[in-house]
Amino acid sequence: MTTPLLSVKNLTVDFHTQEGVTRAVNNISFDIPAGKTVGIVGESGSGKSVTSLAVMGLLQKPAGKVESGQILFNGNDLLLNNEDQMRKIRGNEISMIFQEPMTSLNPVFKVGAQIAEVLTIHKNMNKKQAWDRAVDLMNQVGIPSPAQSAHKYPHEMSGGQKQRVMIAMAIANEPKLLIADEPTTALDVTIQKQVIELMMNLQQQYKMSMMFITHDLGVIGDLADDVVVMYRSNIVEQNHVKSIYEGAKHPYTKGLLACRPNLGANPRRLLTVSDFMNEEGKELVVPAERLTVYDKELIPSHQGEGTLLEIKNLTTNFPIKGGLFGRTIDHVHAVNDVSFKIQKGKTFGLVGESGCGKTTLGRTILRLIEPSAGNIIYNGQDITNIYGEELRLLRRKMQIIFQDPYSSLNPRMTVGEILAEPLIIHGIGNSKAARLDMAKELMDKVGLKVMHLNRYPHEFSGGQRQRICIARALMLRPEFVVCDESVSALDVSIQAQVLNLLLDLQDEFKLTYIFISHDLSVVNFISDEVAVMYGGKIVEMGAASKIYQNPSMEYTKSLLSAIPKGQPKHF
Amino acid sequence: MKTNSLWVDAFRRLSRDKTAMMSLVIVIIFSVVAILSWMGILSAGWSQEVGGSNMPPSAEFIFGTDLFGRSVFDKVIHGTQIAMSVGLVTSLIAIPIGVVLGALAGYFGGWVDDLITWFYTTFSSIPNIMLLISITMILGKGIFAVYVALGATGWGSLCRLIRGEVMKHKEREYVQAAGAIGGGHMRKLFIHILPNVTHLVIINASLQFQTAIKSEVILSYLGLGVQGEPSWGTMIDDAKLELARGVWWQLAASTLAMFLIVLAFNLLGDALRDALDPKLKGK
Repeated sequence: MTTPLLSVKNLTVDFHTQEGVTRAVNNISFDIPAGKTVGIVGESGSGKSVTSLAVMGLLQKPAGKVESGQILFNGNDLLLNNEDQMRKIRGNEISMIFQEPMTSLNPVFKVGAQIAEVLTIHKNMNKKQAWDRAVDLMNQVGIPSPAQSAHKYPHEMSGGQKQRVMIAMAIANEPKLLIADEPTTALDVTIQKQVIELMMNLQQQYKMSMMFITHDLGVIGDLADDVVVMYRSNIVEQNHVKSIYEGAKHPYTKGLLACRPNLGANPRRLLTVSDFMNEEGKELVVPAERLTVYDKELIPSHQGEGTLLEIKNLTTNFPIKGGLFGRTIDHVHAVNDVSFKIQKGKTFGLVGESGCGKTTLGRTILRLIEPSAGNIIYNGQDITNIYGEELRLLRRKMQIIFQDPYSSLNPRMTVGEILAEPLIIHGIGNSKAARLDMAKELMDKVGLKVMHLNRYPHEFSGGQRQRICIARALMLRPEFVVCDESVSALDVSIQAQVLNLLLDLQDEFKLTYIFISHDLSVVNFISDEVAVMYGGKIVEMGAASKIYQNPSMEYTKSLLSAIPKGQPKHF
Repeated sequence: MKTNSLWVDAFRRLSRDKTAMMSLVIVIIFSVVAILSWMGILSAGWSQEVGGSNMPPSAEFIFGTDLFGRSVFDKVIHGTQIAMSVGLVTSLIAIPIGVVLGALAGYFGGWVDDLITWFYTTFSSIPNIMLLISITMILGKGIFAVYVALGATGWGSLCRLIRGEVMKHKEREYVQAAGAIGGGHMRKLFIHILPNVTHLVIINASLQFQTAIKSEVILSYLGLGVQGEPSWGTMIDDAKLELARGVWWQLAASTLAMFLIVLAFNLLGDALRDALDPKLKGK
C-alpha cells in the first residue's frame, strides 16, 4: 500500500482560555490518500474545523495548542515546521476554501488581481503572466466572460461567483491537497450543486486530494470517497462512503443520515440523533412507529378549516434613488403581483433562491414592509391599510421567526426579559411574576430549561437561540406565524429538532404557518401547499406532493434536480 | 448557575487590566480633590500670601511659591477643580445632545437626518476659538463661557458615531422582531437600540472629558478662559515669563497635573473600548 498524501496520527488539540482548558480535538487519526476526497462530517463544535486549521498551521495562537500527535504530509511532520516553512506550503501545496465567500475576498481589489497575487507569491510570475493565468483560471472555474470579469470588484459578483473565485485562488498553484471548509453552506441549493460539480471536475483534472468539511452528510454523498464522522472532539466512525450510507455502525452517524428530510414521504416527525443515542452516547432502539412514513393528505388534523389569509395581487416596490438630490429614478419589483390563499391550520411553503422576493413577501404580509399595491385579507378583514392601535392589536395574531438566531435576539436582555416584552407591550399579565410564569411555561414547551430564564443570549447555542425566538413569537398566542428561513442557519441535526418542534407547536396551538426557505426538502417535509417564487412572481403553486412529483415549470425542475441525493457516487 | 450580563462581564474584564485600574484610581483621586476644593476644604487659601516671592520647592511648599508668594500647590489643586468641572459640565452638555440627535438622525433618516447632519457639520465647521470669542462677547469672559462654548462644540463627533451605529442596529433582526411583537418607535429606539450603543457613549465620555480639559488649558492660556482665579492654563501662561529667570516649578506642577489626568483618561478610554465592545466577544 502506498503512503497516503496526508496522514493525521493521534492528533489532540486543546484551547486554553481564561475559563480553563477545552479539548477541541481528542486523539484522532485518519488518512487522505493521493487523488481521493475525504469528507469530514460533524455538527458545529465537533472539532472538524479545528482539525483543518491544525493541518494548515493556522490555529489561533496562543489559545489553540497541539498537545500531541503528528500531521504527516508526504511523510513530513507539518507540526515540526517553522512559520517560514509553513508559509511555503500554504497556498502552494495545501490550499483552503472558506465557508463565507462574502468576507473571504478583499473588497478593495479586483478579483483578477487577487488570484494573480497567489501566483506572484509562490510561482515567481511577473504581473502580466499572473494576470493571464488568472483569467485562464477564472475560465476553468466557469465564470462567464473571464477577461472582463477579472476587472470586477467582489461586490459586483454574486455569492456563487465569489465562491468560484475563491476556488480559482485555491487551485492556482495546483495544490496537492485542497481543504474545503463548508464551501457550499452559505449558498443556495442550485449554486451548491454547480460548485460541487466544479470541485469534482477540478479534482480529477488536477489529481488533487481533497478534505471536504461539512455538517451535512447529504452533500458529501456525491463527492467523497471516504467519510470521517466527528462528534464531540472524537472520530466516532470512518469508512468508505458506500459503507457509511448502506450500513452506518455508530448511532450518531445513523442519526445524521436519518435527520435530513427527503423529497419523498417522511415520518410524521423527523428522526433526530437523540432517537439513536442518549446523552451518554449509548445506542437506543428506535421505536417502529417513529420510522413509519405517512402521507400528509391522509392526516385529519391537516385538513383545512376555511381560509385564514388571502393575498390579492400584492406588489412591493423598492425605490432606486439616484441623481444629485436623491430623487427616485426607478423601482425594483421585489414582489410582483402575487396572489394566493392559506387555509387555517395549514403550512404554506415558499421556495426560491436568494433575491427572489420571498422574504419581502413574508414581511409585507406582516406589514413590516409597506405594500405598494394589492390587498392582504386576514380572517375576512382587509389589513392592507390599517395603522396605529389596530395594527398593534393585529400583531398579537401574526408573528414571525427570523433566520439568524444570532442577530434576532437583543444581546443586552435576558431570556426572561425577551419573552416578557411582548406581554408588556400588549398589557398582558398583572405583574412581573405573572409574566415570567407565562415565559417559563413556553420555555418548557419549546424544550428550554426554565432555570435558564436569567441567562443572556450569548450563553446559548444556535439551536437553543432559535428555540428562544420561537418562544418569543408564541408568547402572544398568535394564530399565524411566518417562519423566514428559520432553520437555514442551523446544522442538519439541530434543524430536524426545530422542525419537529414547529410541527408539535402547530398541533398544540392550531397554528398556520408560512414557511420560507431555499431548501426544497425542508419545505416538502413541513408544508401542505408549496409556491415556487422566481423574480418576484409565483411561478408554480400547488399541493406539496404534486409539485415535487410532477413539476410543470422548467425552473422548478432545475431546483429539484439540484438537491443532493445523499447517494454515494458509485455502487 | 449564576449568569452575568454583558456589563458585569465587561467590568470583570476591566478589573483584570492593571493599567486601567491604575488610571481609574488616578481619575478618582483627581475627582475627590476637585470636590474637596469646591467644598472649600482644600486649597481655600490659594489667594493668600504664605511665603516669599518665587520660593523654590521645599518641605514647606512642595511646589514652591509664585511671584506673589502664594502656594503653587494650592493653585494646582484649585486648577484641578476648574479642569474637572470643565470636563464634567461640557460632557453633561455635549453627551445628551450628541446621543439624542445622533439616535434620532440614525433611526428616522430622511429629512430628520438631513437636518441634524446639516446642523452638526455647520457647528463643527466653526473653529472653537472663534465661537468662544463670540460667546464671551455675549456672556462676558469667564468659566461659564468656557462651559457653553466647549459643550456646544463637543457633541458633533459623538452624534456622528451614534448616528452610524443606530443606522446599523435598526436593520438588525432583533429590532425588527421588536416591531413584529407590536413595539413602537420609542421602544425600538430607547429600549432596544440605545442599550446596545451605550458602551460607545461611555468610551466617548472618557475621551470627551480629557479633550475638554486640554481645551480649557489652551483657552485659559490664551486669556479667553477663567478670569481671576488659577487654572492650569493661566498658571502656564504666568510661568512662561518666569521660566527665563529659572522659576520652573509653577510650569512643572501644572503640566504634571494635566499630563497625569489626560494620560489616565486616554488609557482608561482604551481599556473601556477593549472591555465593552461586544464585537470582541466570541459568539
